[in-house]
Amino acid sequence: MAKTVIDRAVWGAPADGVSSLERELARQRRARTAHAREGQMVARASVLNLAVFAEREVHARRAARTIAKLAFRHPSRAIVLWTDRGRTRRAEAAHDTKTRLQMHCELSEADEVHQVCYEQILVRALGDTYERLASAVIPLLLPDLPVFLWWTDTPPFGGRHFTDLIDLADRLIIDSADFARPDIALPQVAEVCRLGRGRYGVTDFNWTRLTPWRELVAAFFDVPLMRPYLDAVTGIRIGFTVDADGREVHPSQALLLLGWLASRLGWRAAEALAPSEAGGLLFAVGRADGERIAVRVRPRFERGLEEGDLSGLRIQARRAGRNAEFVVKRIPGTGLVVTTALVDGAIVTERTLPLRVPTVVDLLGEELTIVGSDRIYEDALKAIVSLA
Amino acid sequence: MAVASNPLRAGPRLARIPEPSTLVIFGGSGDLVSRKLMPALYNLALQRLLPTTFAVVGAARRPLTDAQYREELHQAVAEHSRTKPINDEVWRSFSDHVHYVSTGTDRGYGDLATVLDRVERDLAMPSNRLFYLATPPAAYEAIIAGIGAHGLARPAAGGWSRVVVEKPFGDDLESAIELTEKLHEVFPEEAIFRIDHYLGKETVQNVLVLRFANGIFEPLWNRQYVDHVQITVAESIGIEERAEYYDRAGAIRDVVQNHLLQLMALVAMEPPGAFDANAVRDEKIKVLRAIRPLAADEITSSTVRGQYAAGFIEGTDARAYRDEDKVAPDSTTETYVALRMVVDNWRWEGTPFYLRTGKRLPKRATEIAIQFRVAPHQVFSRESAEGLDPNTLVLRIQPDEGISLKFGAKVPVQGIRIRSVNMDFVYGASFMVDAPDAYETLILDALRGDATLFTRRDEVEQQWRLIDPIVGAWRSGQVDLPTYAAGTWGPTEADLLIARDGRAWRKP
Repeated sequence: MAKTVIDRAVWGAPADGVSSLERELARQRRARTAHAREGQMVARASVLNLAVFAEREVHARRAARTIAKLAFRHPSRAIVLWTDRGRTRRAEAAHDTKTRLQMHCELSEADEVHQVCYEQILVRALGDTYERLASAVIPLLLPDLPVFLWWTDTPPFGGRHFTDLIDLADRLIIDSADFARPDIALPQVAEVCRLGRGRYGVTDFNWTRLTPWRELVAAFFDVPLMRPYLDAVTGIRIGFTVDADGREVHPSQALLLLGWLASRLGWRAAEALAPSEAGGLLFAVGRADGERIAVRVRPRFERGLEEGDLSGLRIQARRAGRNAEFVVKRIPGTGLVVTTALVDGAIVTERTLPLRVPTVVDLLGEELTIVGSDRIYEDALKAIVSLA
Repeated sequence: MAVASNPLRAGPRLARIPEPSTLVIFGGSGDLVSRKLMPALYNLALQRLLPTTFAVVGAARRPLTDAQYREELHQAVAEHSRTKPINDEVWRSFSDHVHYVSTGTDRGYGDLATVLDRVERDLAMPSNRLFYLATPPAAYEAIIAGIGAHGLARPAAGGWSRVVVEKPFGDDLESAIELTEKLHEVFPEEAIFRIDHYLGKETVQNVLVLRFANGIFEPLWNRQYVDHVQITVAESIGIEERAEYYDRAGAIRDVVQNHLLQLMALVAMEPPGAFDANAVRDEKIKVLRAIRPLAADEITSSTVRGQYAAGFIEGTDARAYRDEDKVAPDSTTETYVALRMVVDNWRWEGTPFYLRTGKRLPKRATEIAIQFRVAPHQVFSRESAEGLDPNTLVLRIQPDEGISLKFGAKVPVQGIRIRSVNMDFVYGASFMVDAPDAYETLILDALRGDATLFTRRDEVEQQWRLIDPIVGAWRSGQVDLPTYAAGTWGPTEADLLIARDGRAWRKP
């Protein structure tokens, strides 16, 4: 039988079953209060439930670290579901087909303040346990608080355990940066959004990463003089980061930005997405007034950025005989961008602004502040699907 | 064209960015600018919340070049910014559009007009101008006249002009009316933004959210359930560098007339129809008008003033107020005020509001405490309920922003023994790590034209109407000026004021 070793320093004390786990947490809470300074209470603050689905240990551990860092801002009950695919396969090979769920729990102090504790629970699933997962999660959820489900891999769209778990959730968090085939997976996400309407919202870390980019692009057209060019776009180029060998090609973020512009500005498909050199895309979309917009999504190697992150963008527009360009460009290695608006080649405005690459902690922290669905995101997704 | 027509701005995640505009700061090289305004502007730039085209023009008497002015501000921001170290590239990009004009000469305002026109032309932006009066109030009149005479606030078609006025807004009703009338010669009322930076604090805004976004508090929020309300603005610091101003104003003008009465209005007001400037302020003024002005014979019994004597703050020596630099050795300025106020309306009849503020109190604490009535009939024996205090809901504004509710619970022993416990919601622990500074919020609101968190003319004047009779009676010596040792909770007279009603001050 395959032996399972759980790192107790990370995952805390073992418990066999939900009631023993709750007893253990209560015991830890009492112990904490007894050690607290006179007159100072240890607060059990919870603003949400966070369930994390991880198939790899590295993802489960990353989730635990992220939750610990966010405990101060978003004290939660965090339930990490670690299905351990690798071990399950090995166990199958060894004919250990016994399915079981192991539970561990720990009451931890938030990094910055010692009066606030959060609860971390590990549910480790071994064997063919997918259909049992939801039954383990339901009794662990704190009542009356929203449930966030963070799926750390490409979700198995249509899979039973995926469907079971999103049924429990108010919000599904994915990261399309990891999608190997965004052309297939993004439409599936759009479908999940459609099915979830009124029941749960969907969000994507790649969408969170785009917020500052969207801000910067929108800011160009807050200037009344520039606003008319928004209806007169003739071309758009978006650069995204690839690794030095050009093998890790993840254009999801770039596509989402394009989808956002298309949905906000009423652009329609004119030509299907067509691959160009080294993982890029070259095609055209139609403006609301029927004019053609040339689109180029280009992979670029850029140091210090994650694969898939935007490296820059350029929007071209022509109106009343004048050519305008709106450029956002990262300055490599500085965490800064320069945004420039030009008319007929002359700079009208130029600004240098901070734009650091957000960490998983930043991304999750941001997403946990939003409970409802984000129509702008859903519209952007729909637009990509129509372009693909 | 209005900013709202930018379709890319839709959705909850993108902040509403102000229109392209120019901020003109009078008193541009003063303390407020170095400590608060510039650090706030820099942090707004860092958060990408400033408009794409945005310029700052500092105006003050000293002759300075743009480069010298930028360098001074750079140092000030490096020292006072809430995010450190400062990002030099972002600062440079921001400060490229910072200019300076000396208004110390006859040509001053003419120069200012020229610079404003040039900046707007160079950046191809409309004449959207926010004038910020960050000078001592004595200079307001000349500045307003200068703005008016040179037509600085008469924007070209499509632009707007607004003015932000720092507190104190007048020293009494008469001077406040005069100041408003001066301002009205140049700016209409809706363009005047009177700042009370307390209203920019996240937790002060949270008072409105707590009251009006939740269904469970409002039914209890009245005379039937609330025994009394205590509002405390306690400071452990003395008067620092502000002796000149403070010795003239005293605690009643410095804190009571604005911050304390505004907090009281937020607690006591009726629900507004919407969260917008006029709906909120209409309700505030209604309740301010319902606060009963103290009659001459009530001032002795309902007000206490005090002045700090030498003592200790956190174990170190603190000198007496009269020994502070630039304070007259026989000064009769109060550094402590306690008031008992009542609101004459259906909601609050018979529920007093106790307000207090002071310098050199044991700790810095701003809080609003709603103390509820005790249960109408005591089921448990007197012995078992000995540790039971009345239910209290405390809204802590600073520090440790949060909300706590005190209620009785059974001590886990055989038999019944009841003790009060606190259920504590630490605001910072649930949501906020790095709350924006009040000035960031307020500058952004003024640039966007949102006056919800600014004080309207009628509010300021009503606040003075409540304060003036008290100041008058004090001046004529009707109320003693006891001293209290620095590091204590104020004079014993204040304890007597509340003890007469059978109540006691909280120790925040």
